[in-house]
Amino acid sequence: MEEETETEEELRTRAERKVKKAAQLLFFRRHRNPGVKGWELKKALGDNYMDVIAVLNSALHRFGMEVKRISKEGEGEGEVEKSEGKEKTERDRFIIVLKNHLIEKASGARIDDVAMLSATLAYIISKQGKVPRKTIEDFLADKFSKHRIYSALDRYIRQGYLGEDDKVLYIGWRTRAEVDRKSLLDLILSA
Amino acid sequence: MKPDELSRLINFCKTIQKEGTDPFDLDVKKFLETLKQYLKKWKHLDDLLLDAEVLSELTKIIKLQGKWIRDRSSSFYIDPVLMELKLKMLEPVQLANALFKSWHPIISMDRLTPRRLKEGLDYWNALLPFSERKEEFPVASTLEITLSIEDLIDLNVLSETEFEDSIKIISKDLEERGRIEYRDFIYEDDFESSIKKAYLTSYLVSEGKAELDINPLEEEIFISPCYIKTKANTGEVRSVPISLSYEDWMRWKRKQKQKRNYGQEQRGR
Repeated sequence: MEEETETEEELRTRAERKVKKAAQLLFFRRHRNPGVKGWELKKALGDNYMDVIAVLNSALHRFGMEVKRISKEGEGEGEVEKSEGKEKTERDRFIIVLKNHLIEKASGARIDDVAMLSATLAYIISKQGKVPRKTIEDFLADKFSKHRIYSALDRYIRQGYLGEDDKVLYIGWRTRAEVDRKSLLDLILSA
Repeated sequence: MKPDELSRLINFCKTIQKEGTDPFDLDVKKFLETLKQYLKKWKHLDDLLLDAEVLSELTKIIKLQGKWIRDRSSSFYIDPVLMELKLKMLEPVQLANALFKSWHPIISMDRLTPRRLKEGLDYWNALLPFSERKEEFPVASTLEITLSIEDLIDLNVLSETEFEDSIKIISKDLEERGRIEYRDFIYEDDFESSIKKAYLTSYLVSEGKAELDINPLEEEIFISPCYIKTKANTGEVRSVPISLSYEDWMRWKRKQKQKRNYGQEQRGR
């Protein structure tokens, strides 16, 4: 009986240790971009890393945070689910985001820059996800100076909010991770 | 339908894919029927290859049309014109608020650990001074720029009279040597002179004073003087890019050296 209790305790301790390790991996940046790839989590936590992430996720929910899975292809992403194929999950990036939107200001960005990003994202989403850079620049030039537009777009690309391929802009990985696109469109249309 | 039209259709398909314009702008059914109608008329392999490429591009457009329909039926679809109008009407503050309300920022922290600091220090200690590291990055031996005569005159590489004199010298040299392998003609003992000679030779060819004979199978290029001056204007005019590099010149030099050594050995016997 005593032995069984010890084993349970050991199991609990090991599980707690793994959850702590997962939290540290996800909270602290290890690469240029935040987040950890599925295969890195597997390597650090073992084959049942999705179970560990699920436990961590339920703990984070209490603090208004959640673990989000971002796929490179932009498909099948969102909250952590175990039903996805193993290989795909290992390629995906796991990050922690705020579950609810911010109530107070939490960014040092100028209001003009945020407005530009907001308009750019909404414009690209409405055009099925791809727009030539020149079209965006001309569209924004209605309200902002060209010089500011060029530097802002370059910055959004660097930050991962936008992607650029052969002078065509598309939605970047960070927008997919951080922005509720449906909500953004609804808010703009109802404003 | 001509091959040119096929190429135009391929470009149109690629533009739709690249810029994300409405894939239904292209009448796939009409083009497939036209392709079917003309398929029997294509005789050359190139035409058939073009035909196959068009088919491949059209399948990509059909795939895009499928995606387009799926997107339009999804909850994300909003009329782009309506969205554009709305975005133009809104104040920057309203746009920013909309983004803030749909924003779930990533929570991530950067912290230095004592171990990472130690790694940084070790890296610094092992790093060579910048002046020594520069040698690891040799200057590239190839430059892709176009220089006109005016540029060369501005750069003091040539003067106008020197240019004309140089053309005359090269023309005379070619007449004396007759038909000769192109690289044997332009390559000299130093690389700079070789490039200068290649540049001047291109003028000889452009002016119809020399003729290039290219054998693509053997990858041989011969140059010969053009004694009949009018010949250059009667044929098809085209540009012939010939790649020259320092490495290529070095290979040529080695080959020449080997040839000389072989000649000396033969004479010695």
